[in-house]
Amino acid sequence: MKIKGEIFKKAGITISVILTIFWLIPYIYVVCCSFKPGAEVIAVPPKFFPEAFSVENFFGLFGRMDALQFLLNSLSAAVCSTVIALILGSLAAYAIQRSGARLSIVLIVLVLCLKMIPTSSIVVPIYELICDLGLYDTRIALIIVYAAVNMPFVMWTMLSFYEGIPTTLDEAAYVDGASSFQTFSKVILPICKPGLATAFIFTLFLAWNDFLIALLLTSTNAKTFTVGLAGFLSAYNLDLGPMCAGAFLFSFPVMIISLVAQKYIVQGMTAGAVKG
Amino acid sequence: MRLISKKTLLLFFLPGAIFMGAFLVYPILSMVFDSFFDIGITGDRTFIGVDNYIHAFTAGGFLKQLKNTLLYIVVAVTIETVLGILFALFFEMNYKGNKIIRSLMMAPLMIAPLVAGLTWKLMMSSSFGIVNELLARVGILSSPSDILWLADEKWSLIACCIADIWLTVPFMMLMTLAGLQGLDSSITEAAKIDGANMLQQVFYIKIPMIKPVLLTALSIRIIDAARTFDIIWAMTEGGPNSSSETLSIIIYKTLTRYNDIGYASAMAVIFIIALVVFTLVFMQSLWNPKKKSN
Repeated sequence: MKIKGEIFKKAGITISVILTIFWLIPYIYVVCCSFKPGAEVIAVPPKFFPEAFSVENFFGLFGRMDALQFLLNSLSAAVCSTVIALILGSLAAYAIQRSGARLSIVLIVLVLCLKMIPTSSIVVPIYELICDLGLYDTRIALIIVYAAVNMPFVMWTMLSFYEGIPTTLDEAAYVDGASSFQTFSKVILPICKPGLATAFIFTLFLAWNDFLIALLLTSTNAKTFTVGLAGFLSAYNLDLGPMCAGAFLFSFPVMIISLVAQKYIVQGMTAGAVKG
Repeated sequence: MRLISKKTLLLFFLPGAIFMGAFLVYPILSMVFDSFFDIGITGDRTFIGVDNYIHAFTAGGFLKQLKNTLLYIVVAVTIETVLGILFALFFEMNYKGNKIIRSLMMAPLMIAPLVAGLTWKLMMSSSFGIVNELLARVGILSSPSDILWLADEKWSLIACCIADIWLTVPFMMLMTLAGLQGLDSSITEAAKIDGANMLQQVFYIKIPMIKPVLLTALSIRIIDAARTFDIIWAMTEGGPNSSSETLSIIIYKTLTRYNDIGYASAMAVIFIIALVVFTLVFMQSLWNPKKKSN
């Protein structure tokens, strides 16, 4: 019986290792392609591993588009919008969670519904609004729109974290004479650091990975990296090498952060997170 | 004792609410308003009542896209769920180094959907795509150009589903794993002693017990699959011959290519209503107010 269990376990381990490798193949393929010489990417028949190592594609990428500027745009829009969404969202979620009023249930349902709104259907009124405000093709436009679109997500994540904190803490702070805001910023938030970290990483990725909003709201100055990458779609096959290099460059930091901060990502997902 | 007065509630809620009001709620309202108009390229409006809505549901409307969206959801989410559960059962085992394997498996989790789409577009290319080359070498295809994944109406939507599945199986696995790890192991132990075999343990004990987690994951995935834009846009842009066009894609195209704001708004309103109704029906699994009391 015990030997049978051992065999089962060994088989299980082997299968999970194989599955993992199998699942990573597409990504490894992109990495391999980005280090192939340009012509080898579109060679027939295709080879998985590069025959000659080359960074030609990276030069191609930077030659074809202002990659560094696009990366900076992506980064600044993602970070700034995340900070705004985090501050305002966590404050609002705290108020909703602790008020206990009937109004708060209505608000929670509203937040949930807002979180489910498909971006593709509201981008156009947003586009019109941004144009009316004279913010088209600015980073500010991206920052405020990302902040607003991702705020329901932050609130949703924080709500589940606040739920886990006993209200007796708030009461104690109240008895000690703390105002509501002091209770929030000095007592509750420090305990919620894991929650904040989770919401931060997720919101950051949501904004970093966004394509549709940036596609409509930017043209040259504030263009983000995803929009730049999509520019390769209409390009000729020869540009697929630089495209791979771009895809690799863009997603590599994400992979590393996902590996390092996996704890928070797992928490975020299981707290009812949604990825776009 | 109420911890926060109504006034403080409003004060705390207001800054966030203003943001969301201006850039989420207001756009939705203006969209609902637009949906009753015929809006020309120059911006001139004629009130046409519910004609846009009627148009959506008649021939030449969005019925094909609706069917595609549903097909996409059913195919992608079903396979994702089955694979996710299967993977989770394998990855649940404890052994030295299982954390590393698990981490690696979850690494693609946060990759941009656009990048996933581009990756698969490259791999599924008809001439130099690695997928067909592999299928041909294994012998499933007689020649690498037998299946034109992205250019054949039969396959384009399936191709998009495959990219979606690749991207989100780790998510389903993660959710299932979280559920499995929350189980009390004494229950499976007891079942084992009572003579339940592996399969019985999985189907009669583990899966029923993690049903709430699975339902949550399922509803999240259904909504996300319905909203998918990036992957499909990267791979096919809805083509060929709108065979992979979903609601998200057609709404976007109607807006940017055909410049028909009124009709696009009407479709978007229908889409949003459908998703909100779905969300409210599934509310019980996403959020349970009673949870707080125990």
